[in-house]
Amino acid sequence: MASTEAQDDSDDGMDAFMDKFKSQRYKNALSENNWEEEFNKIPMFMKTAPEEIDPKKYPELACLQSIIHDEDRTPEEQAKSLKDEGNSYFKEKKYKHAVVAYTAALKKKCGDQEFNAVLLTNRAASHFHLGNMRSALNDAAAAKKLKPDHLKALIRGAQCCLELRNFPDAIQWCDEGLKSHPTDNKLRELRATADKQKRAAERDARKAKAKEKKLTGEKEALLSAIKDRGIKLYQPMSSAPEGSGSEGEDESPSAGIAQLSLDSLSSLEVTGAQVSLDEQGSLHWPVLFLYPEHQQSDFISAFCENNSFRDHLSVMFGEELPPWDTDKKYHPQNLQLYFEDEEKETLYQVDPDSSLLNILQHKRFFVKAGTPSFMVLVKGSSFWKQFLSGKKIRGL
Amino acid sequence: MLSDCEAAELLSFLTPSTRPDVKGKATEYILGLSGNRDGCRFLCSKADLIAALLALTSDPSVAIVKDCYHILINLSADETLHQVLVSKVKILPVLLKNLQDPDYLFSDHISTILSNLSRHEKTCRTVFEVLQEEVGLAKLVEIFCNESYNKKAKLHYMGPLLSNLTQLPEARSYMMDQDRCVIQRLLPFTHYEGSLVRRGGVIGTLRNCCFEHAHHEWLLSDAVDILPFLLLPLAGPEELTEEENEGLPVDLQYLPEDKKREEDPDIRKMLLETLLLLTATKAGRQTLKQKNVYPILREFHRWEKDVYVAAACEKLIQVLIGDEPEQGMENLMEVEIPQDVEEKLKEADAKEQEELEREERMRREEEEKKKRDAEGTDQEK
Repeated sequence: MASTEAQDDSDDGMDAFMDKFKSQRYKNALSENNWEEEFNKIPMFMKTAPEEIDPKKYPELACLQSIIHDEDRTPEEQAKSLKDEGNSYFKEKKYKHAVVAYTAALKKKCGDQEFNAVLLTNRAASHFHLGNMRSALNDAAAAKKLKPDHLKALIRGAQCCLELRNFPDAIQWCDEGLKSHPTDNKLRELRATADKQKRAAERDARKAKAKEKKLTGEKEALLSAIKDRGIKLYQPMSSAPEGSGSEGEDESPSAGIAQLSLDSLSSLEVTGAQVSLDEQGSLHWPVLFLYPEHQQSDFISAFCENNSFRDHLSVMFGEELPPWDTDKKYHPQNLQLYFEDEEKETLYQVDPDSSLLNILQHKRFFVKAGTPSFMVLVKGSSFWKQFLSGKKIRGL
Repeated sequence: MLSDCEAAELLSFLTPSTRPDVKGKATEYILGLSGNRDGCRFLCSKADLIAALLALTSDPSVAIVKDCYHILINLSADETLHQVLVSKVKILPVLLKNLQDPDYLFSDHISTILSNLSRHEKTCRTVFEVLQEEVGLAKLVEIFCNESYNKKAKLHYMGPLLSNLTQLPEARSYMMDQDRCVIQRLLPFTHYEGSLVRRGGVIGTLRNCCFEHAHHEWLLSDAVDILPFLLLPLAGPEELTEEENEGLPVDLQYLPEDKKREEDPDIRKMLLETLLLLTATKAGRQTLKQKNVYPILREFHRWEKDVYVAAACEKLIQVLIGDEPEQGMENLMEVEIPQDVEEKLKEADAKEQEELEREERMRREEEEKKKRDAEGTDQEK
């Protein structure tokens, strides 16, 4: 390209070369329209590398790659480049790719213990940042096996154990590390953290145990109170092979209580109200009043066993009658209460002046789903006549 | 005692190549000597005999080695022998080397010897120097705190060894090296049920360390967190309210109902003394107040029967619930006490001691009486 005569000072013919373009167009120039796109395809000027290198689209990159991963290069060189590749990916936070690179490097099975320990430690770090704690821990352990005093591996191992909430192991990793690096800050801090969290976990276990014990105690007191009163809980068919518990004569008290599982007390009510024992030792029951005439019901969340039905009825129907009582006939003095013995298909009339406890202790009263329920009718009404006709009725 | 001639003959029996039965008789004899004060004093002048015994600790016969160690233990218990043992015979390097061997059968004996040698300051200093050269205090603590280090020896007597060593400020410095993890390893052993000796040694060590009030802040911080470990042996199974529980250090919360307090009154007293030391600085007092330790001490005081320990507890409670001292007197360890006040305080202390002794006597008499009454009624049946 250089002309033989030196027209100017340069002797590499550069100026002549450049002059040519005053008249000729440069071949293979970047097109004006998408020169930025094309610029980005040139390996040296790439801002980011593509995920997969398609030789057709990026021939230069593919070429470079094959140089790097040329099988003709020694395994050591290949491993080294793979390691560098992994490190680059790691810096870019592309941890999955880093893992792949390190794994490939490890497969080459070359380099000394130190080299492989570093690869394993780096892979452990990558797994760590991906949240694969177990893989990370395995890699750290493998690194430690190759080089027991490898500080980064020891730190990583401890960190993994911490994340996995295995505090005794975390402390052990730290202690191993401190043997060869007694003044390392990070190890010391990790140990202190692991120790602290271990003790906190122990406290949590104690707290949970204490709470469980308290609940069990309360539950037993409750069931005991119910049993002592001779109140029968309706057992669903599936549970308790001996049927409703409290009638068992020869059972030990705890077996009897065990039968009266708390399941039979679980209320179907949305409020989740349950029978409770107050400080004076009285039971408070959730109670349902049903009004079959109008398909209505009232839920009393805590009916003290010593209160009478009249107490509640006079409050519920005393001042104002409920809106569904279109005939305005549900006055307390007109109301009759019944409970149903499903098994015997009998209705038992309840004296409103009796206490809840009295009725619950009736030999044919079974508490269903932990909520005693009673039907309320207006004496003498046509619904009353209709409802009660054909049914077996018992007074008290 | 033996003549020089007899001593020389005895020495000749203490060689590895001597017949085992003769060797055995020789060591047995010396063991007998070492069992009393005169014998010990005699052996004091016979460094060559002791050196021979030290060499015999590598004898293949376990019985011989055991005798040798027992002799050394006896000798080390007598302070007049210390210089001979340590400077003339130079037993320390050998002992320390064997101590580090995880399979060594006689590590407990070595611990006892070292514990004896470190009791008094002078020899303690020598022990510490050699220790630092040969092993390093940090390694010693590591060995001590690793329960499965030596399958054949319990190493409990390393506890009192550490406690003795920390009478030296240099040892305390090493123990409380903030760049390492040394003192932290001792903490879990404050409630170690397996050995009174180990427990006492650990707590003694911690108490000695707490004389360095410059380190209090670090000791009470998360880096060490000494407080819960001092309180745990004093805490009992009594149920505290949820509020009281939540304010306590984590290790003291929700203790189970089978929690037992430290049974040894001397150790209980040491724990309280250590806590009292931590209240010397204003920061320490604040921390203890903040960490809500009062309920623990309240319940402890109710439970404690020993009058001396109860008195120590009262002192501590006083500081916790009392007002802050005036300006200038905030570090209780640095307060200058004028002569006449010091005298008065000494008098008051003496009086208090008398009172306590009287109380203790009365309590014991009551107990005896109760016992006698109980026996009396038994007999009447």
